[in-house]
Amino acid sequence: MTELSKSLLYLDGVTVSFDGFRALNNLSLVVGHGEMRAIIGPNGAGKTTMMDVITGKTRPDKGDVLFNGERDLTKLDEAEIAELGIGRKFQRPTVFESHSVLDNIVLALEGPRGVFSSLFARLTGRECDRIDEVLATIRLSDRRDELAGSLSHGQKQWLEIGMLLAQDPALLLVDEPAAGMTDAETAETAALLRRIAETHSVVVVEHDMTFVRDLGVRVTVLHEGSVLAEGSLDQVSADERVIEVYLGR
Amino acid sequence: MPLGLSRIGVAFLLSLAVAAVLVPVLNLTVASDSTWHVSTTNVVLFGKYLCYALLALSIDLVWGYCGILSLGHGAFFALGGYAMGMHLMREIGSRGVYGNPVLPDFMVFLNWKELPWYWYGFDQFWFAALMVVLAPGALAFVFGMFAFRSRVTGVYLSIITQAMTFALLLAFFRNDMGFGGNNGLTDFKGVLGFDLQNNATRCGLFALSAIALAGGFLACRAIVSSKLGKVLVAVRDAESRTRFIGYRVEHYKLFVFTVSAMMAGVAGALYVPQVGIINPGEFAPANSIEAVIWVAVGGRGTLVGAALGALVVNVGKSWFTGALPELWLFALGGLFIFVTLFLPKGLLGLVRSRRVASAAPVEAPGEPVTVIDRQAAE
Amino acid sequence: MPFGITLRRIVLAVALAVVGASGVGAHADTLRARIDALATADFAAKEAIINELAAAGDAEAVPALTALGNGDLQVRKTDGKVIIAVRDGNSYKAIDPVSAADLGPVDRAALDKIRVNNNLRRVISAVVGSLTLRSKDPSVRRAAADAVFKSRDASALDVLDEAIAAETDNGIRRRMVLARAAAILQTNRPEPDRLAAIAVVAEHGNQDAKDLLSSVAASADGEVKRKATASIALIEQSLAMWSVGQNIWYGLSLGSVLLLAAIGLAITFGVMGVINMAHGEMVMIGAYVTFMVQEVIRTSAPALFDVSLLIALPLAFLTAGAVGVVIERGIIRWLYGRPLETLLATWGLSLVLQQAVRSIFGPTNREVGAPSWMSGAFELGGLTLTYGRVWIIVFAIAVFILLLVVLKRTAFGLQMRAVTQNRRMASSMGIRTTWVDALTFGLGSGVAGIAGVALSQIDNVSPNLGQSYIIDSFMVVVFGGVGNLWGTLVGALTLGVVNKFLEPYAGAVLGKILVLVFIILFIQKRPRGMFALKGRAVES
Repeated sequence: MTELSKSLLYLDGVTVSFDGFRALNNLSLVVGHGEMRAIIGPNGAGKTTMMDVITGKTRPDKGDVLFNGERDLTKLDEAEIAELGIGRKFQRPTVFESHSVLDNIVLALEGPRGVFSSLFARLTGRECDRIDEVLATIRLSDRRDELAGSLSHGQKQWLEIGMLLAQDPALLLVDEPAAGMTDAETAETAALLRRIAETHSVVVVEHDMTFVRDLGVRVTVLHEGSVLAEGSLDQVSADERVIEVYLGR
Repeated sequence: MPLGLSRIGVAFLLSLAVAAVLVPVLNLTVASDSTWHVSTTNVVLFGKYLCYALLALSIDLVWGYCGILSLGHGAFFALGGYAMGMHLMREIGSRGVYGNPVLPDFMVFLNWKELPWYWYGFDQFWFAALMVVLAPGALAFVFGMFAFRSRVTGVYLSIITQAMTFALLLAFFRNDMGFGGNNGLTDFKGVLGFDLQNNATRCGLFALSAIALAGGFLACRAIVSSKLGKVLVAVRDAESRTRFIGYRVEHYKLFVFTVSAMMAGVAGALYVPQVGIINPGEFAPANSIEAVIWVAVGGRGTLVGAALGALVVNVGKSWFTGALPELWLFALGGLFIFVTLFLPKGLLGLVRSRRVASAAPVEAPGEPVTVIDRQAAE
Repeated sequence: MPFGITLRRIVLAVALAVVGASGVGAHADTLRARIDALATADFAAKEAIINELAAAGDAEAVPALTALGNGDLQVRKTDGKVIIAVRDGNSYKAIDPVSAADLGPVDRAALDKIRVNNNLRRVISAVVGSLTLRSKDPSVRRAAADAVFKSRDASALDVLDEAIAAETDNGIRRRMVLARAAAILQTNRPEPDRLAAIAVVAEHGNQDAKDLLSSVAASADGEVKRKATASIALIEQSLAMWSVGQNIWYGLSLGSVLLLAAIGLAITFGVMGVINMAHGEMVMIGAYVTFMVQEVIRTSAPALFDVSLLIALPLAFLTAGAVGVVIERGIIRWLYGRPLETLLATWGLSLVLQQAVRSIFGPTNREVGAPSWMSGAFELGGLTLTYGRVWIIVFAIAVFILLLVVLKRTAFGLQMRAVTQNRRMASSMGIRTTWVDALTFGLGSGVAGIAGVALSQIDNVSPNLGQSYIIDSFMVVVFGGVGNLWGTLVGALTLGVVNKFLEPYAGAVLGKILVLVFIILFIQKRPRGMFALKGRAVES
């Protein structure tokens, strides 16, 4: 119970199957407050399904998913989980393309999400400052009025991270933030995530080993829906089973 | 500008205001042999088109801004129409063929002895006016609550909205529903004491329709330019993304669907006294789909375009059915195909495309929503 | 004796029909001579003539004898000819007693009635009974037995007993035994006889038997009453069961129609994901192809009429399929990934096709005939099944199986599934995806076309034919589960049966509304239908 009480995210024995295929198989994972964790694993290891379970998109067949040691995430839907303080960045950048960069941030900005409060919503000065701050962080200040759809791939990735920042969740789930980025962009993204991790808990799913090394955090290796190994990148890359999974086939 | 009105929007409001004043004046004061005279036939005809434009506006609000393609908005229009029609029936009073002060003629004909309970209150105009918005609103709310909560989207939603209006069509055809069956409600005499056959009443209804259209436009504008409007567009473009940043998508959809149904109800209520009849044919699925094409022609997600589309298509329809009746369905069918293939942003989109790109959500390759789902399923 | 008169009337009708059909043979002359002799004979001579007729065993004498017993056999004063006078409105018309030919109107004053007394009536009744019940023609015997059952004429009992003893056809004997039981129940025979009769009637178990027993239960008392009442309860039970059976049959029949209408859609919408609102018009095209095939056959080769539907099937498939391919190439391929636009464009297309057919064939219904092997009906226990419906069910199942085989067992089916599941992968494996798309759509449309051939048999062939099916078809596919042919089968049959079971309680229209509401609610609960595919493939 001690592990449970000090954890931010606690998965125990989570199993998800689709038509007999087990996407997650008795998966257990604990992420502490303020921790940044990298999840790696080959295709089909269950990384995205795990994210789906945490964010309420997929209901597990069995197992516990607890947030902050008390809230049962399997009983909540996506919006409730988001309001609880879990933000998610998708693998392929998904921003609201027909909104301006500014509006994307405004929509994500922490605040009431009800229908009538948004019908009569006006931006306060504090919120404007916060938006400027986020835009500066993701280096999109000078493109704030452009349509999000007109941004480059890398900029969309950053805008999505910016939306996460504006949402200010306790836990960020980041799915392959470096996909499709140049080396320079990848390094900058790693730096950005490290900075975010100073004030938030972060779970990063990534293929790119250089990027994971840049992050310099504890690594969990998934394979066939369960945890294969856990530890520093050097430890897990020395693990024989991990080598077999990555290279053996 | 307030409400983010574009120049086109302002021009639209101004021309409505001018029409609301000028058309009655030209009909009532100018001699009928003058070239400036507007015939009563045309006043009624264009009054009808204004109601259609309001219906188109309501469809654009849900389709253009929230991506909900309703193929059943004709049902809300017709319900509003029936609510008004019931009041007009009660107002006939003893002037009917059978002279019964309480029962409408068709009930006397069916040998009914008492007014059904759901006809109570419709002798009061205020009650009928309330029902004009509440009846379609309630239907939309209940229907939407079920549909949106269980995440019925896309074509599935379109098909069940069509089934909804089809079911209502069948229901209203039944005599024992108490809404006049096949023949519907007709032979109205007057409204609030004004004679419906009187030119001045007709001009008044025309002006009222223009004002309602302007009001509807401003209301839609207020909604879409608020933060709520931005959420709606976000839902349209990337529904699950919107969920993941914490918005209860079903609440937003329900809100806009209900508001839109109420607007459609108002349009139907103004339509009925002008054409003098409301019958179950208004529930026909074909009517609802035809209204959708008005929006597509004008340009969805533009509001003004939707209203203009309704006017353009209906003027065309009047011309065709007069001059080449055989060809009208070819023209209408061809319009559906042409607009979807070659004019995805509609007429207004064509004008605007060089200026602002904020208009219609013309997905280039595939829909953003599916992009997320596919990726999230990986 | 009111029942006796009823019997004679019925027997007269039966016999007239038989005589009219069989024509007049050579022995008709002797028959006519005997009947003419009746005009002048006294009662004793009449009895002799009647007995001669009975001895000849000639059923053709029955109309004349019956008329004689009823006092309708008359002599026309103008020419002395014996005729049957039948009241025709306010006047009388003459009918030839042998050939049943209509001899035109006749004035009552110009007729002389051939007199009979009670003794003669009794003789006639017995002779008529034995002539019909022991006729050589089985259909006359059967009709006579049924007539006795309806009339419950106790006077026929003696003849009936003889007839039963002589009867060789089991079916007819059963009817005779039943008729005998019905007649016995009208008499005051001892209780055991009547109880046995009730058992015989109860075994028959239909509505007529129930009515008969009800009248017995009302008039009798004691053991007879008790047994009749108990038998009624049993009959009611079995009737209820048969009516459930009949409802299921009607439901399956409606379900097979829905299946036919929806099965093409199960391919275009279910497999390809294309919303084709012009699907109903493909059905309509198939129906009009049938109409045209029949027109050509009527004018140039009437002998082929019975196979007109078989000729129409491939033509309808090819025509509708070709239209489908053109639609896919011309419109739908530009709209892949934009389902709502596809919906609107194909709706427009449906308007165009309807108007085109209206312009070519006119707005009114066109007559499509049923070949002989599809008309008529037969009885199965308490069920009445029409051949048309039976064939449509058989046909729907055949189309379903054929389609299943095409999808699962042919190279084309494999390519089709490959393309719909992973277009890029299929393409890189050398499958010509664009052609697979076009042909798949053509297949779906072609199947709709052959559905049109079948539906032309039960629905009006008009430009609106397709529209009446489109909502139902979508409901079936969505209810059954998109992308699953078995789901479509179960969905169609379920909806058909549910619809027919609601009808008696709610009426046809309200029943349909209830079904629509049910489906709307069902889709809320299970948006992907009854037999939804689960898992990752669906999500994308």
